[in-house]
Amino acid sequence: MANVVLEVKDLTTKYITRFREDVYAVDHVSLKVEEGKSLGIAGESGCGKSTLALSLMGYYFPPLYYTSGEIIIDGKVISGMKPDDVRKSVLGTEIAYIPQAAMNALNPTRKIINFIEDVILAHDPTENKKFIYDLARASFEILGLPPEVLQKYPVELSGGMKQRTVIAVSVILRPKVLIADEPSSALDVTSQKMVIKMLRSLMDTGFIKAMIFITHELPLLYNVTDDIMVMYAGQIVEQAAAREAVFDPLHPYSKGLMGSIIVPEAGLRDVKLAAIPGVPPNLKKPPAGCRFAERCKYVRAECKVTAVPLYAVGNGRAYRCILAEQVLREAYAHGQ
Amino acid sequence: MKGYRKYFLNKLGWFAITFVFAFLLNFILPRLMPGDPVAAIVARQAQGMSNSSGVQAIYQQYTELFGTDKPLLEQFFLYVRNALQGNFGFSFSQYPRTVTSVVGSAIWWTVVLQFPAIIVGWIIGNMLGALAAYIRGGFDKVLMPVAIFVSNFPAFGMAIFLLVIFGVGAKWFPTSGGYGFDLIPSFTPKFLWSAIVHYQLPFWSLVLIAIGGQAIGMRSMSIYELNADYVKYSRFMGIKDRKIVGYVFRNAMLPQITGLALAIGTMVGGALIAEIVFSYPGLGTIMLSAVMGRDYPLISFATLIITIMALLANFIIEILYGFIDPRIKATQAD
Amino acid sequence: MQYSLRQAFRSGKFVTGFALFAAMLVIVIVYPLIITYPPLQIIAQGTFFPPGIYVSTYDSVNAPTTYTLNLDDAAAKRIASKLKAEDRTAMKEWLVAAGIPESEIDAADTAKLLAQWEANYDPKKQVAGMTFARSRYFQRVNTSISGLLSSEGAILATKAPDTGALQQAGTVKQTDYVNVSEIPNVRLLPLGTDNFGRDVLTELIRAAGVSLEIGLVAGIIATLIGLTLGLLAGYVGGVVDDVIVFITNLFTVIPGLVLLILISFSLGQDKRGPVTIAAVIGLTYWVWTARSVRAQVISLRNRDHVNLSKLSGHSIPHIIINDILPYIASYVIMAFILQISSAILAEASLSILGLGPRTTDVPTLGLMMNWAMIYQAHLLQKWWAYLPVLVTIAMITFSMNLMITGLDQVFNPALRD
Ligand SMILES: Nc1ncnc2c1ncn2[C@@H]1O[C@H](COP(=O)(O)OP(=O)(O)OP(=O)(O)O)[C@@H](O)[C@H]1O
Ligand SMILES: [Mg+2]
Repeated sequence: MANVVLEVKDLTTKYITRFREDVYAVDHVSLKVEEGKSLGIAGESGCGKSTLALSLMGYYFPPLYYTSGEIIIDGKVISGMKPDDVRKSVLGTEIAYIPQAAMNALNPTRKIINFIEDVILAHDPTENKKFIYDLARASFEILGLPPEVLQKYPVELSGGMKQRTVIAVSVILRPKVLIADEPSSALDVTSQKMVIKMLRSLMDTGFIKAMIFITHELPLLYNVTDDIMVMYAGQIVEQAAAREAVFDPLHPYSKGLMGSIIVPEAGLRDVKLAAIPGVPPNLKKPPAGCRFAERCKYVRAECKVTAVPLYAVGNGRAYRCILAEQVLREAYAHGQ
Repeated sequence: MKGYRKYFLNKLGWFAITFVFAFLLNFILPRLMPGDPVAAIVARQAQGMSNSSGVQAIYQQYTELFGTDKPLLEQFFLYVRNALQGNFGFSFSQYPRTVTSVVGSAIWWTVVLQFPAIIVGWIIGNMLGALAAYIRGGFDKVLMPVAIFVSNFPAFGMAIFLLVIFGVGAKWFPTSGGYGFDLIPSFTPKFLWSAIVHYQLPFWSLVLIAIGGQAIGMRSMSIYELNADYVKYSRFMGIKDRKIVGYVFRNAMLPQITGLALAIGTMVGGALIAEIVFSYPGLGTIMLSAVMGRDYPLISFATLIITIMALLANFIIEILYGFIDPRIKATQAD
Repeated sequence: MQYSLRQAFRSGKFVTGFALFAAMLVIVIVYPLIITYPPLQIIAQGTFFPPGIYVSTYDSVNAPTTYTLNLDDAAAKRIASKLKAEDRTAMKEWLVAAGIPESEIDAADTAKLLAQWEANYDPKKQVAGMTFARSRYFQRVNTSISGLLSSEGAILATKAPDTGALQQAGTVKQTDYVNVSEIPNVRLLPLGTDNFGRDVLTELIRAAGVSLEIGLVAGIIATLIGLTLGLLAGYVGGVVDDVIVFITNLFTVIPGLVLLILISFSLGQDKRGPVTIAAVIGLTYWVWTARSVRAQVISLRNRDHVNLSKLSGHSIPHIIINDILPYIASYVIMAFILQISSAILAEASLSILGLGPRTTDVPTLGLMMNWAMIYQAHLLQKWWAYLPVLVTIAMITFSMNLMITGLDQVFNPALRD
């Protein structure tokens, strides 16, 4: 059994809106990532992927609040730690995050090297500048980035270079887990490839031990990650190895989502979101039964009565549907 | 540094172009009015007030000096030649003073009043706006409506309020003029003290107006920056909030500087009117008396000088901005 | 658009601003229908009559019915209004100077004080060390209080047309009252009169109306110019864009007020009607609209729906009207509201400089301000001549800015609280 780098047990977090309503955007989520593995998270826009990523950091600020559950990184429980301690000894060192809009993630009026200094000094105020510079330079070299970048302002970098710089800065303290939230969706194809290549190399070069990769682009996920988790309305609806999730999805939502990826034209990418008719439920008042019931082709009366648990079917596979594996597979075979 | 030089030259060129353009406008606008060119203004005045032959002579002199009865192009060259010699004619209403001497004695009052007021108002306004954005809550809820109200209040209204409350009512400060009416401008302590006392009301009325507008601008800039992606990212890299607030305010401040450069034209206009309320011996008051005395050469020259002052202020701010914002140098470099 | 409007009405700031503005509009429209005095008519002989109800003295004396009311405090009030505390101390001072021992004088005892005064005061008496002005003051006090305590009425007399002899026509007793509603000539001047002797309230409401019209006309002109230039620059791009940006930048740094001054002065007083002034303001104040429209259009220009429209071969006007305008409508509306309020302020500034509309046909807020300043209402503490004008200007601009702030928060969610 490989070493588990990140373990999340029953994590629930909520947004409190300015009208004092609770939005449970991460609802009893559990997951595990082993050393050397990567996990992909997929789902429609608004299903809570980014919120999950933020929640995993263990550092909460309004309007996001921690409700319950446990986050364990490399054997260390970080949920429940004091925010100041989290900031100092978890963020950037245990777990790092590449935000969805990485293009704007860097302070536009600060040179890259100065920002790196700020990051390192925030964790160890005694470090000297020379050391920091050497460290940054070495890291950039390993990651194939020109060291001149260090002396530049973010505006002077191209989009792809900015993205790769953010990645390099994120791993400068060698965090154990890296979460990349849609790191490539705003880039052109060449830059996308470079970014993906760089992310995959991070584990080989020892910068990180495990990675979580969030994206809309399912084909990409299949190529990049070992496992895939599908989210719907704040919950996990399916967990499986990448190959199984893509080619043999169990949950009707995954099926709909995966079915819609095989679209011929890249220009029609946005169409895929509409491929499943209907809209996700309002997270302020989620339905009592299966949250997908409203949009499900195979819906039955009992689906809407009680909440559906996540059924484990062995081999790390799980799905959240009252229908048996066999029934679903048959339905899919006939349906399409 | 190369980037900065390029930026500087760019701005300098722009300044020169606007200068020429302002000069042209100043020449051509009065002459473009349908059926009512400068010649007509001069003639009208000559008729209206020709009771004394002396006045008649002044207008004659002006007509000759600027050739207002000649074709437009010729007039223009005359105008340029005279301007290059610093000759803008005599003031109709304060003959035999030249307009340059009338404006020359007023301009310092305006400069010393307006620029410190705008700068102080800018600084205080930005601090309040940043605080409102950062603290939010009660402070914000009180400050913002007040700031909106104050910034919408016309500059002359603020001037009148201060004048009535602190000048006429409480009698803390004198109500008009730039110094005691029994004094002659000089560098004696008595005169300086009088000038300082007279300075307060006009100064603070301009400051208050500037504070309102700047506080609103800074607040929205800061709120925008506080929500920027780099704030979230910096937090998740473990950087302390204090440091991040530093980033945010620096970044929010920078557009405020360009905002100031853009707003300076409006501010100068408002301040001129406020001067009138206090009968402050600056360009605004000069302008009023020129209008009253139908003193065409004086109006023309005063507007030119005010425009140049605004252009210059704008230029200086942009030059400083280029120094402060690294993005300027960066984007100019290639 | 409809949705945005509904959103806007959810914003407290917008609703407050809108309600304020609507209330002002209603007043400006309804008031002249009810009260039809000509706004520029000079009714008062003299300047700055204070606010109040003006009752014709002649009509009160000749009122059809006189009523007798026995009110206990009538005499006391009458005396109090004539005999102020400072007069009492002054009287005491005179009496002391005239040789009455100080212990015998009680300034609070009105009856005794007046008796002593009547017994001792002699206008011809020279008191040592008293200035001429001071002795004149005592003479004035003396006339104003003479007969104050008597309970006799005053006699009304008429002059016989041929002989010029006075004939008693009646008496007015201290207990006589008239009912104001029976008096034909009563004029309410809630805000008094101005320096020319005109009813300030009527004038003010008309002025607010004219100023709003000026704002509206100037706003429409400025918005149309700004919108056209912004659309052209943003959508057509290329050389057109360069030229327009150049012009816009020029007009940004040249103070708008200076241009206004130059143009207005060159126009000459008789050509400056309110509409002309509005047009001139509109022609100089379009810069900000052009700037922001251009920026918006540039960001829209390459959106998918615009590209789609282009591919389908729609003409430029069609694309602009159907695919661009709806997206920038909210900004244009905000800019328009802003133009209106800045045009009203611009008119006021111009008028204070003496370059406002010609003064003969209509009042404007700026002109009223100008008159008040020229006649020094602010230094003479005639607040009713300038304060209501300032408050009106502030209310107009404040309500408009509230609307803009409200809209801004609806359209730019980041600014929300
Ligand atoms: N600041 C907030 N306040 C209240 N609710 C929020 C906030 N941010 C997000 N939400 C809600 O939380 C839910 C999850 O949002 P999240 O950003 O995690 O989705 P996502 O899956 O990352 O979507 P995308 O693919 O578009 O990035 C959404 O329903 C959203 O409306
Ligand atoms: Mg997201």
